[in-house]
Amino acid sequence: MTSWFDHTINGLIIGNIYGLLAVGLALIFGVSRLINFAHGSVYVVGAYVGWVAVSVLQTPFPVTLVLVVALTAALGIVIERFGIRPLADAPRIAPLLATIGLSFVLDQTVQILFSPDPRSVPMQVPNWRIEIGGGSIGLLDLLIGGIGITAAASLFAFLKLTKWGWAVRATALDRDAARAMGVDVDKVNRIVFAIASALGGVGGVLVGMYYNVITPTMGFEATLKGIVAEVVGGVGNVPGAIVGSLLLGLVESYGVALLGTSYRNLFAFVLLIAILVLRPNGLFASHRQLPPEPMTGTFVAPSKPVRLPVPLVAAAAALAIALPFLTENGYLIQTLTNAWLYALLGLSLTLVAGTSGQVSLGHAALLAIGGYTSALLAFNLNWPVWLTLLIGGFAAAGIGTLLVSPAFRLRGHYVSIATLGIGEIVALVILNWESVTRGPIGVAGIPPLSLFGYDLYDTNAIYWFAFALMAALALLQVRLLGSHLGRTLRAVRDDDVAARSFGIGLKRYKGLAFAFGGFFAGISGAFTAHMYSFINHETFNTQISVLALTIAILGGMGNVGGAILGSVALIGLPEIFRVAAEYRILLYGIALLLLVRFRPQGLLGTV
Amino acid sequence: MITRRTLLQSGTAALVLASAGRALAQEPTGEPIFLGVSGPLTGPNAQYGAQWKQGFDLALDQINGSGGIKGRPLRYIFEDTQSDPKQTVAVAQKFIADKRIVAELGDFSSPASMAASPIYQRAGLLQFGLTNSHPDFTKTGDFIWSNSVSQAEEQPLNAAFAVKRLGFKRIAVLHLNTDWGRTSKDHFAAAAKELGAEIVATEGYLPEEKDFRSTLVRVRDANPNGLFLESYYADAALIARQARQTGLTVPIAAASSIYSPKFVELGGDAAEGVFTSSRFFPEDPRPEVQAFVSAFKSKYGKEPDAFNSYAYDTMILFGQVLREAPNLERKTIRDTLAKVKDVPSVVYGKATFDTQTRRVQGARSAELVVKGGRFTLWDGKATN
Repeated sequence: MTSWFDHTINGLIIGNIYGLLAVGLALIFGVSRLINFAHGSVYVVGAYVGWVAVSVLQTPFPVTLVLVVALTAALGIVIERFGIRPLADAPRIAPLLATIGLSFVLDQTVQILFSPDPRSVPMQVPNWRIEIGGGSIGLLDLLIGGIGITAAASLFAFLKLTKWGWAVRATALDRDAARAMGVDVDKVNRIVFAIASALGGVGGVLVGMYYNVITPTMGFEATLKGIVAEVVGGVGNVPGAIVGSLLLGLVESYGVALLGTSYRNLFAFVLLIAILVLRPNGLFASHRQLPPEPMTGTFVAPSKPVRLPVPLVAAAAALAIALPFLTENGYLIQTLTNAWLYALLGLSLTLVAGTSGQVSLGHAALLAIGGYTSALLAFNLNWPVWLTLLIGGFAAAGIGTLLVSPAFRLRGHYVSIATLGIGEIVALVILNWESVTRGPIGVAGIPPLSLFGYDLYDTNAIYWFAFALMAALALLQVRLLGSHLGRTLRAVRDDDVAARSFGIGLKRYKGLAFAFGGFFAGISGAFTAHMYSFINHETFNTQISVLALTIAILGGMGNVGGAILGSVALIGLPEIFRVAAEYRILLYGIALLLLVRFRPQGLLGTV
Repeated sequence: MITRRTLLQSGTAALVLASAGRALAQEPTGEPIFLGVSGPLTGPNAQYGAQWKQGFDLALDQINGSGGIKGRPLRYIFEDTQSDPKQTVAVAQKFIADKRIVAELGDFSSPASMAASPIYQRAGLLQFGLTNSHPDFTKTGDFIWSNSVSQAEEQPLNAAFAVKRLGFKRIAVLHLNTDWGRTSKDHFAAAAKELGAEIVATEGYLPEEKDFRSTLVRVRDANPNGLFLESYYADAALIARQARQTGLTVPIAAASSIYSPKFVELGGDAAEGVFTSSRFFPEDPRPEVQAFVSAFKSKYGKEPDAFNSYAYDTMILFGQVLREAPNLERKTIRDTLAKVKDVPSVVYGKATFDTQTRRVQGARSAELVVKGGRFTLWDGKATN
């Protein structure tokens, strides 16, 4: 059985690589309680700094490493100073959005400077290979492992033994109390970001040399796996992150051995969910109970929402309805149709995340469930599209709520991570369940939208249909939020302990919120599928989940008008920036950062 | 008043001046004719959009350098979509409303391209897929065409190469788990079985995947005598490197999409001895290929790859279609495309469309092997 030995070695090798990212993510999460979506981008920057050093400046290996450490540490300090610190007093959800904006800016800058072509990073480590099992491992494998373990060990010692380490841990436990005791919290954050970013940068250059390929877009996938590894080891637990990474590598490797390559990520995300449900503090926690999150009640901090006068809303709606008569511009109408469909998604997420405090990062899965259900029913069974749209909505509500129900006992960031995993699982099931979904080939020739027996081909007709659906469901949501249900959901969000002591069944209400949200998103996904006529597993990807959250946060969490406004802004901005060609996503990232900086509570404020 | 139009025109004027400086023939000065291009310039597929641009620009230099289209220069308007369906549908609306645009090229990925197809079809604007091998791509309607080689045609050639000439009897297939990779694999496996080979393993991997060691150990356990890759160049390079690290020493062959100088750069020593049967090969002695390669090298200072060649071919094709079209009505362009015969093509030799499938027939292939750090014509010696 030499192969099992080989699979073990391979698992440890890839685990090593995950470890370099997970340690940095764990450190930042431990101190700032922040999932740093920009971490993968720092890793990309590290890789490209390394490439410049090796290929242009021709530096020897130690100098390369020093350069990478210096520049990415400096980048970490800049991110902390200008991206995160100004948001210290904002709702804790705002910095998350800031890191998403930063990752757009960093990735795009790298792409503009170095072109999107993949590049090779010449290996600067002697290519000695050791035969082991049926294959071999190289010096670089050992070096990557060595750096990961050394970094984790020295960080562990730093945190436990030094005065600054105490300060970091104190800040992690209670920021305000630490400040009251004289800890320079800003300095602590600066140190943490510098160390974590330097580690991420070194990871980038080593991984670049290992695979001999770097691309400006490799950061997102790296962040995703780093987060999984970090959670498995226990969020904020630095040595745990290393063990978690190795375990993740092993599980993936054995998963491939058992079922094949296309199931690889499925194993990774099932592991994530299993850990979150069974041992939410990671493998090494001594208690099953989650630590009291210091941010209960501040995660989605209520602010003073902007009250939209009814006549203004009515006028805006009238304008939206009349628009196709006022302009012949199909491009504008199509863009707004997209905006209404994403507004439905935004409404869904703003209910789930904003009103009931369950910040979901897997919302694209609901679109996919709705889209596939409706498309397959209409395509295979020739059911009328108005009916399949409704069924798509109900399917997303039912299946979505069922899937996410194990995460109901989680709180705060744990919910986001769990839903992220669930979203990936749904996408992978769609890819692999070929007898029903046709896998990567996708569903082509989906019947067009139709109403009362008439097919809707006309751009304007589709626009009015999308707007009517969106407006009707938005009004429903306003009614909902004004009822006792809205109050109860907000109570769950603001203080679940207090809510429970008043006799509110948390799981039931969270389930209700997901069911309503799932219905909205499912309808949006189903509509999209019929409008596109073709969908496959890539149509509803993770980027859409991130976009959904961005819409909800930007509009103002829990705010119905905000979700619509946020969607119009975020679908419209990339179109407006079209004149800037290659620079438009960079501009979009900068616009996002500025919006978060100056309106952290969202455009219309949290309700 | 400065409008976008005058800006475009002054940009055109600047281009004309610049190319006049390069001692090209006189640029035509009439009102330009525009093609719309929908493709990725940002996002995960941005590299392919950049490669398209290089191919398009080179072809336009030649078309406009030799008088353009009846005295009018040919131009394109490239709208970035990140290959994201919600952006391709918006861009489609933009293009159909823009009366200057006579035909549309792209998009890159199938979900993005096919989401826009109903819009182009209804508006009667030709949607022309350069890289859309999805079997259903052209089925939306009679305005949807493609010169991407159908995998039903290309894969049997690959299978014959692998089985008959390289002696692969027990084949392991690794494929990108996308619509392209999956379709390719199915056609390849069917053709290989027909030729008497056995498919001992098939593994589909995600486009973001970088670690193939576990997959390759699984493949090794199936005991193949040849590995066939339905991959793009970056993943093929990773697989070739890691195959050697996991002790898998059987010969590797791959689909033509790995043809790129980048494959050799990224694969390093492990790229040596990898076979491919490419539709496009720079040392092909045909004059149209040599003209393309030398012009490409002098413009960009590097060798063209497969995606450059598709883009170049497409623009040359449209040059001919537009010259032959009796007028520039959108429908006329479509009808002319159906009628053009034997257009000189880097990829096909001569391109002619089948009006039933709306695709080009007759893929060519050159059998190549990486030797001494570059793709060379294979000398016909099997390696095992």
